[in-house]
Amino acid sequence: MVQLKDDEKRMLQGEDGFVPRICMEYLVELCEVAGAEKLVDLDGTGDFHTPMTSMSPFYEFSFEELEKIVNAGARFKIPTFANKAPFFMQPPVHGWEKCNVCAYRDKNCPQDDPAFHKEAMRDEWYELYRRMGMMTTHSCANYITSTYLPTMGQHCSWNESSAVPYCNANLGARSNIDGSFATCFLGKAAYYDMHITENRYATVMVKTERTITTDIEWDVFGFATGEDVGVHVPVLTGTGKPTTTQIMKLNSALNTGGAVRMYHIPGTTPEAPTIEFALNGKKPERETMIGEAELKKAYETLNYHTSDDVDLVYLGCPHLTIVDMMKIACKLEGKKCRVPLWIMTAPWLYDVAKNMGYLKTYEDAGAHLLTGTCLAAMGGVPENVKTLALDSAKQSYYITGRYPDDDYRLQVCYGTQDDCIDAALTGKWRGEWK
Amino acid sequence: MARGVEITMEKIRIYGRKEFGGCVEAEALVSPKPLEGFANCSPEMGCTTERNHPLFKVSYAGKVLVYPSPRGSGGFMSYGVGPNKPAAFVHTETCPLAVACAMVAHIPSMTDFERDPLEVIETGDMVLVNADEGYIEITKK
Repeated sequence: MVQLKDDEKRMLQGEDGFVPRICMEYLVELCEVAGAEKLVDLDGTGDFHTPMTSMSPFYEFSFEELEKIVNAGARFKIPTFANKAPFFMQPPVHGWEKCNVCAYRDKNCPQDDPAFHKEAMRDEWYELYRRMGMMTTHSCANYITSTYLPTMGQHCSWNESSAVPYCNANLGARSNIDGSFATCFLGKAAYYDMHITENRYATVMVKTERTITTDIEWDVFGFATGEDVGVHVPVLTGTGKPTTTQIMKLNSALNTGGAVRMYHIPGTTPEAPTIEFALNGKKPERETMIGEAELKKAYETLNYHTSDDVDLVYLGCPHLTIVDMMKIACKLEGKKCRVPLWIMTAPWLYDVAKNMGYLKTYEDAGAHLLTGTCLAAMGGVPENVKTLALDSAKQSYYITGRYPDDDYRLQVCYGTQDDCIDAALTGKWRGEWK
Repeated sequence: MARGVEITMEKIRIYGRKEFGGCVEAEALVSPKPLEGFANCSPEMGCTTERNHPLFKVSYAGKVLVYPSPRGSGGFMSYGVGPNKPAAFVHTETCPLAVACAMVAHIPSMTDFERDPLEVIETGDMVLVNADEGYIEITKK
């Protein structure tokens, strides 16, 4: 039974109006399903998949209702950001003009058609959301551009599986994957799972044979670890200190292989000064080894192709940081791509990349910069692409799901950023697991 | 009396926790492997499209979908969308992905059982999911 405070009861009874009532009904149902006994007042940040007014069709409300509350002065209660590009077409915010993908392979939905793009961006919703205070970052990795991060212990409501561990494990703030209009507008979330201290300690100890050091090792290690630990909180031992790029790879791969909202790296993540601390002084329920065999198996799962002839190269899952865009620009300087190279970042970094000269370097090399979305979110690859090269476990494992038909199974070459750039310049895949 | 597993004539009852209420009986489809949503689920076809998955392109429409745990992104809720959704969800372990999925589906959903349902249920068994009263009852095929 959910225990509600007076203000929450008032909202549920409709005393604050229709929208607060339907949002509170949604949160009460969420508590019941999750087994949460109460709501927690949020003091951190939030984001949600826009422009939907609810994550559940049973609690959606209309554009007109939204307009009504915005005109009456409604604001989001916490700093609120927009996750990826507008649903459901999830068009690129920038670079769509050269994006010859048909959304979900529907020939009536070409992403490079101006009329389609205009409609898919659904500007009328964002005019209202911005008046409510939403910052329309349109990124799966809002934390790289938001310029404002929650602090240790703050309660948040994010909605991106690859970002939630950044909130929990890397910042020490607290979030479940439940960001929605309701949580951000009311500033309340169901109090369960990662909001509760006891649930944040590690129960599984992960060991390695090699020291996890390179970007691809972190990505493959993340996927293999996720498959092994499932929904449990691991403490990761035997790794180096991850860079920001490596943390992003780890987090997205952990939530492809598994559902890891929280983890610890002793001496690196803020809630794990030591292994003992990460385990709350207890013995782990289980120890597991992600050794050479497990890493190789994961790599072979992700590197899924019969032809070495690459048709498209894709970098930017999760959305690239400015540092990775700089590195890619350095690698492309003065070169020419033989096959299309698509580079994906957060929309707010587009002008930065332009001002830094990276955009011109990419364009001179024949590469293409896009923002705000990804291939899997757009629903596929351009029609002539049979073999795709990329450097992301997450994108590798998801994109083929869009191609279940026997007559068109998309193949994926998976490897390092260097392997991918080499493939873009030569048209051939030469990556291998080392 | 401790509530655990009750075995009567050919029926096995296992108690667990209700996520979303309701009561329905249907044939089981058992996934021995965690399920993954987003691009690896096709609500239109009502099946997983995850390569390497034992249930690749096997329809779960109208079935009691039995699986160990959810994994992947928030798009896990795809399993609860559309006319081809399952009749009910029965899963061993939970996390917020399954919560969102149950809320989208509004079909009986249960977890946290006193005995792992995957040890008992096989594809083709009839499973009564009585989420309202907090148990499942299995009739072996």
